[in-house]
Amino acid sequence: MPLRPVEFHVLLALAPEERHGYAILQEVANLTDGELEIEPGTLYRALHRMLEDGWVAESARRPAADVDDERRRYYRLTPLGRRIATAEANRLSRLVSVARAHRLLPDG
Amino acid sequence: MAELSRHSGDPAKADMPRRRVWWLVWAYPPRFRRDVGQSLVDALDDRMRARRAAGLSVTAIWMSALADTLRNATAEWMDALRIAVRRSAFDVRRSGSAFERRTAMDSLMQDVRYAFRLWRRRPGFALVAIVTLALGVGANTAMFSIVNAVLLRPLPYAHGDRLAVLWAKTASRPQSLLSWDEYLAYREQKESFDAVALWLGQSVNLTAVNEPQRIVGVFATGSFFDVLEVKAERGRFFSEEESAAGTAKPVVVISHQFWQRQFASDPSAIGAALTLNGTPMTVIGIMAPPFDMSSVPADGWFINYDVFIPVGLFPVPGGIEHAGPGMLGVTRLKPGVTVTAANANLAVVSSRLLAANPKAQNGRTAEVVSAQESIVGDSRTPLLLLLASVGVVLLIACVNVSNLLVARAVDRQREIALRSALGASRWAVLRQLGVEAMLLAAVSAALGLAIGRWSLQGLTWLRPPSVPIPDQIPLDTRVLVFTLGVGAAVALLCGLAPALRMTQPDLNRVLQAGGRSNTGGSRVTRDVLVVAEIALSVALIAISGLLIHSMLSLQRVRVGFDSSNVFTLQFRLPTAKYPRPEEIAGFFREAVSHVRGVAGVESVALVRRVPFSGNWGDTPFTVEGRPVPQGQEPRAGQNIVTPDYFKTMRIPLMRGRDFTDRDDLQSPPVTVVNETMARMTWPGDDAIGKRINVPDFKEPLTVIGVVGDTKHRSSTEPAQSQLYLAHYQLPMIFSSLVARTAVQPLSITTEVRRAIWTVDKDQPMWSVAPLDRLVESSHGSTRFLASLLAMFAGVALLLAAVGIYGVMSYAVTERTHEIGIRMALGASADRVMREVVGRGLILTSIALAVGVPAAIGLGRLARGVLFAVEPSDPLTLAVATVLLASVSLAACYFPARRASRVDPVRALADE
Repeated sequence: MPLRPVEFHVLLALAPEERHGYAILQEVANLTDGELEIEPGTLYRALHRMLEDGWVAESARRPAADVDDERRRYYRLTPLGRRIATAEANRLSRLVSVARAHRLLPDG
Repeated sequence: MAELSRHSGDPAKADMPRRRVWWLVWAYPPRFRRDVGQSLVDALDDRMRARRAAGLSVTAIWMSALADTLRNATAEWMDALRIAVRRSAFDVRRSGSAFERRTAMDSLMQDVRYAFRLWRRRPGFALVAIVTLALGVGANTAMFSIVNAVLLRPLPYAHGDRLAVLWAKTASRPQSLLSWDEYLAYREQKESFDAVALWLGQSVNLTAVNEPQRIVGVFATGSFFDVLEVKAERGRFFSEEESAAGTAKPVVVISHQFWQRQFASDPSAIGAALTLNGTPMTVIGIMAPPFDMSSVPADGWFINYDVFIPVGLFPVPGGIEHAGPGMLGVTRLKPGVTVTAANANLAVVSSRLLAANPKAQNGRTAEVVSAQESIVGDSRTPLLLLLASVGVVLLIACVNVSNLLVARAVDRQREIALRSALGASRWAVLRQLGVEAMLLAAVSAALGLAIGRWSLQGLTWLRPPSVPIPDQIPLDTRVLVFTLGVGAAVALLCGLAPALRMTQPDLNRVLQAGGRSNTGGSRVTRDVLVVAEIALSVALIAISGLLIHSMLSLQRVRVGFDSSNVFTLQFRLPTAKYPRPEEIAGFFREAVSHVRGVAGVESVALVRRVPFSGNWGDTPFTVEGRPVPQGQEPRAGQNIVTPDYFKTMRIPLMRGRDFTDRDDLQSPPVTVVNETMARMTWPGDDAIGKRINVPDFKEPLTVIGVVGDTKHRSSTEPAQSQLYLAHYQLPMIFSSLVARTAVQPLSITTEVRRAIWTVDKDQPMWSVAPLDRLVESSHGSTRFLASLLAMFAGVALLLAAVGIYGVMSYAVTERTHEIGIRMALGASADRVMREVVGRGLILTSIALAVGVPAAIGLGRLARGVLFAVEPSDPLTLAVATVLLASVSLAACYFPARRASRVDPVRALADE
């Protein structure tokens, strides 16, 4: 069950901490070294889908007061979402091993 | 995240840009908005700020936000619809599996590619469908553009919707010209009007240049420029005082086009001298053209005038203040004042005026009519009629294409059934058919837009005289929106309806029957649609028949004179050079005798107003011995002629005699009247010798002759009283020349001009035209309407024939198996054929039963454009019926023949 790239990136971005929408966009840009810049609309479609499927939820807790913007909504991974991210990561990791074995990637 | 500024402080200020962003988010489905809308707004806002900080332009930022929204909102809507459909249908598969979670966008693109592939495989179908629809959409776009340009557009002045025409109103004529005194009274009417002006357009002689020419001028009060709110491009306009009677100065304002033409846009035009009507005038200003000149009606509203002259210099004996009513009024209503309110105020002023000056005012009041209405009024019916017909054609085209799509969907039933069995949901199939229909609509709409623009060129070239179509018809947003709307409606009508019906395949039955299932329900719908098509065609054919009938009747009307081989032209003598009647009469006599000498001229005369030239006038008259209270005198069409006029025009002289050269300024005034006037004024008695009084003469006139009736303004006018005065007794500076020629009228043009120039080398002449062309062009609008409608009716007929053929043909294919059985059991080929044709006839009869009353109804609505024919004219209806019936029969023939040729063995074997 391959995830769409957008979805996986969002899950990755949310893995370390809760973020609000724009922060997710920035994090995704960071993760891909600026290669993948998603538009807000695309992000939120994926986010909406993941919300409905239960992979992501709105966060009830708020981060520390000095970086909190009260009106924004923060999102976090659910346990289900975390499991899916892990599964996908494993799948990709296996593929990477195979790629290494076939000398497509340098060892590292 | 430190770089992102927080919205500390005023929340309201931070919210403002967000409000605009909310407009974007509003495009998403409601549920999406509810769940993540606010968050999306924040993210979009942040993204835009960051980009702005990075130095991108506002436009670029908004464009990408727009693109993002369009793409994703569409996809979200597709998803939402898919879910909605799935919930309502029987669905084998469970939802939520990972396979399903390709986004809607991918599916959409796949459907589009699939549709193109299908079209490549069956290019005939695609071509026919696209071209049919494109023609329908194109014709509609073109027609709507014209209607938009003529009916819906405001005048190109700052407040064009507030401009109104000010008419004087008398008992006999509701739209009459104003007098100078009336203008002065109404000018003070500050309650309803921002400004009032008096004006009249006239040909003006431009001399002291290489070739004396005629230009088009407007005599106007200074307030004229105020009313229109135009600006002086250079120099200035003349003031109210400079234009008033008695204090008028010899200054002139020229139009932008005239400045370009005459002065090659040289700024030194200001201060230059122009000799107009023999008087030297100084150019003091150039009028800036009104904005958006391209969309203005051809002859309307001051656009094509060359010069603007103070009204006080209007060439009428005695000056404008003593000339009585002779000019037009134009005004700009105050904002918020309606035409009705203005008219109420006017009534008060006119009654005051009447009380102060009962003799001069004579029971006259005043009225305003909105400018838009006065330009457009008459053309409304024909334009709407055309729009309706073109709509009918489009409807028929849609029905045809819809049937085509249904037929094709049925052909593809097997394929659809297979796809369903392999796992495509009902939604997927529906979506594919829907996408194909929308694609069809989109391509047709785009092509249709191009065809529409292109045919618009052709239509404006044909431009009929009385439908005010502007020179260039722009493509504006309203037209684009209209075309898109039509395209969408087409897609709905053609695609979704059959698509919805086709996605209920009973899989087993379809697969077993090998794709030839009996789709009974859709057959009834198809029949109903075809009947509708035929009914619409009948209506269209009938109405165009009525118009053709009108056109032919118009051409057959007896105008009372022989218009073939008659040369005409017009001229105006400058008052400065010909101040006294004797001098004008002298010019006339010499001009006539010189032109008579031109080779090819059989007879020649002067007449003040050539029939069908657009010039017209009437006069009140009183009969001697029959006093009538003021304001209630009978009126007669007036014309002033030299001897030989009746002979030249071949108007029969019924009694008495024609004018002669001896009826001149020294002899007692005489008049010739027409039959109608003789009959109405002196019934049962001889008109010869009777005497009447007209304002132009102090002494009474004696009737010396009675001539036949003539039509003067249009072929459709009813018979009315006409009286003729002798030109040598009433010389006027403006007159026209008519000459009967033995050769083509226009071939003597140069000779005639030369002949007149030997009398006065500086005299301009204009409106050179053969009389029959003048008469014919008065029928222009009926002819235009009739030809267009006939064209649409022809197309509708063709499409209806194609539609019937398609339906019949399809029915035969459907029932090939059944026909095979029946023929194997002994039914003759003839019998089968008769049955098919019989079915076609039944459909046609139903259609006629519906279409004919519709045609009569439509005819009643369009009565205004018909002439000499009733909406329920039996001949026209009969012809339309027979035409359609025969076309239907012909369309049924081929499928019927095919049915009769069915090989029973093959049909049965095809199981």
